[in-house]
Amino acid sequence: MSLLEVRDVTRRFGGLTAVDNVSFDVHEGSIKAIIGPNGAGKSTLFNVLTGFDQPCEGTVSFKGSELTGERPHKVVLRGVARTFQNTQLFEEMTALENVLVGRHARTKTGFLAAALRLPGTRSEERLARQEAERLLRLVGLEEWSESPAADMPHGLRRLLEIARALATGPTLMLLDEPAAGLNNSETSRLADALYRIRDAGVTLVVVEHDMGLVMEISDEIVVLDRGSKIAEGPPRLIQKDPEVLRAYLGQEADDE
Amino acid sequence: MRAKLLRFTPMALITLAIAAGPLFIDDRYLLKVLTFVAINVVIVTGMALLFGYAGQISMGHAAFYGIGAYASGYATTTLGLPWIVGLFAAIVFSAVGGVLLALPSLRLKGHYLAMATLGFGELMKIAFIEAQPITGGPDGLGGIPYPRIGSFEMAAPVGTYLLAWGIAGLVLLLVRNVVTQRPGRAMRALHGSELGAMACGIDIVGLKVRVFTVSAVLAGIAGSLYAHLVGFVSPSTFSLHLSVILIAMAVVGGSGSLAGPAIAATLLTLVPFADAIIPGLSRDALALIQDWEADVYGLIIILVMLFAPGGVSGFMRRRRAVARDAS
Repeated sequence: MSLLEVRDVTRRFGGLTAVDNVSFDVHEGSIKAIIGPNGAGKSTLFNVLTGFDQPCEGTVSFKGSELTGERPHKVVLRGVARTFQNTQLFEEMTALENVLVGRHARTKTGFLAAALRLPGTRSEERLARQEAERLLRLVGLEEWSESPAADMPHGLRRLLEIARALATGPTLMLLDEPAAGLNNSETSRLADALYRIRDAGVTLVVVEHDMGLVMEISDEIVVLDRGSKIAEGPPRLIQKDPEVLRAYLGQEADDE
Repeated sequence: MRAKLLRFTPMALITLAIAAGPLFIDDRYLLKVLTFVAINVVIVTGMALLFGYAGQISMGHAAFYGIGAYASGYATTTLGLPWIVGLFAAIVFSAVGGVLLALPSLRLKGHYLAMATLGFGELMKIAFIEAQPITGGPDGLGGIPYPRIGSFEMAAPVGTYLLAWGIAGLVLLLVRNVVTQRPGRAMRALHGSELGAMACGIDIVGLKVRVFTVSAVLAGIAGSLYAHLVGFVSPSTFSLHLSVILIAMAVVGGSGSLAGPAIAATLLTLVPFADAIIPGLSRDALALIQDWEADVYGLIIILVMLFAPGGVSGFMRRRRAVARDAS
């Protein structure tokens, strides 16, 4: 069954068409990669899928009902989480607190309940902490739990942002260049984490430049070039697709 | 158990010392000054929420202080209503003002938000002068009675001292519960990264409106206390000068803390009343301090920014870190 349906999505900025009539499906339980050269429209598409931006035309449906037009925090409540190309962590908060903020969507304690310590707030807080600790262990960051995010190495910060996104309890998670700036061992650690997350029942969409990682983990790939979808299919076919080779290598496919 | 005891003992001792204050202080003037400290602790706690936790700025907070003072004063003098109704009016009207000020904050950030809130403060100051039938215009509103419940009057200095510190303690306790739980984390997240906060499912619009409103209400409560302590309110009190002092308290106090701003509020409130705590301070010396008050605050802000950017709370955190490493 298709979890996410993207239909004819177009996003223009003035005269520039950043995303041009793009359609694709994401199937439940799969890992889908979106690739393309710089400026292909990947990040814009990501923003449209998560409510951070709205399409000029087209629709996005999640679990069969429309997602277009929802504000970002509502999209999160519906079960779609995301990370950012430039990590958006809360630098002065500890790793554990960052993940706890991710639990915001799944907890209720408001100003008044917190101020008066109404019954239920304490147990909610305790459960949220347990869940945050579990997620830190899942991505292998339990030793960093009390460190401010600002003090963590780059590679681990990306894992922390993933743990925070997981804390929102998503069915679908969109990762914007999770391997950017990671070394080989960090990338393989990331790949392991992504498999664990998929096996836990979370469908993944990954924008990524690291082709090794993309070819290894993804079930299906969408290739964007200058805003348009130029190819879609399993990694094996995408690697040989003449359109894709042309977009990436800048050569005519029939020059070979 | 032992650690818990160590953590609570200082708080208990401070609370006890403040509560017992009137037993060993028989200087009426000093008690009044300490009452002002309590009032400023209430208002700075609201500033700490807004500025130190949520990362929003308001340069118009004196307006809420004024709204609270006039609402309470008008209700108890012109309308002749009981004190508790005046306090309630102060809460309601400052809350409405808080929601109104939150609206520009949803679209503006940083310097632009500072300018918009400054404009709001100046607007309200003029409203206080022009709304003569309610506020008494430039002449002010006088004859505001001491707080009273039934036949029990809380007169200055002891009654108002205990009331103001009771409210300050209650406010600190309730706000501490807020900042250590889910809403407080959401505020700090908003401060850290708005995009990140949205990606965590935080309704940042709703959160900003709530924080502005709570912070305005605390200023309104402080304003009500002020009106009933002094008995007289006039528009010159609620000027930009006061808003800047409040920001100074929040900055010197440091972000992400309630104790830091409370300590900063205490110290900065005492500056113009130096004669109350330094016995034998000459009249000339006091006059000098009062004349240069604004400059003293300015200098303190610059020094804090240069040498202790974390303010009082940053200093306390470093001390704790050193103590932890040593043990």
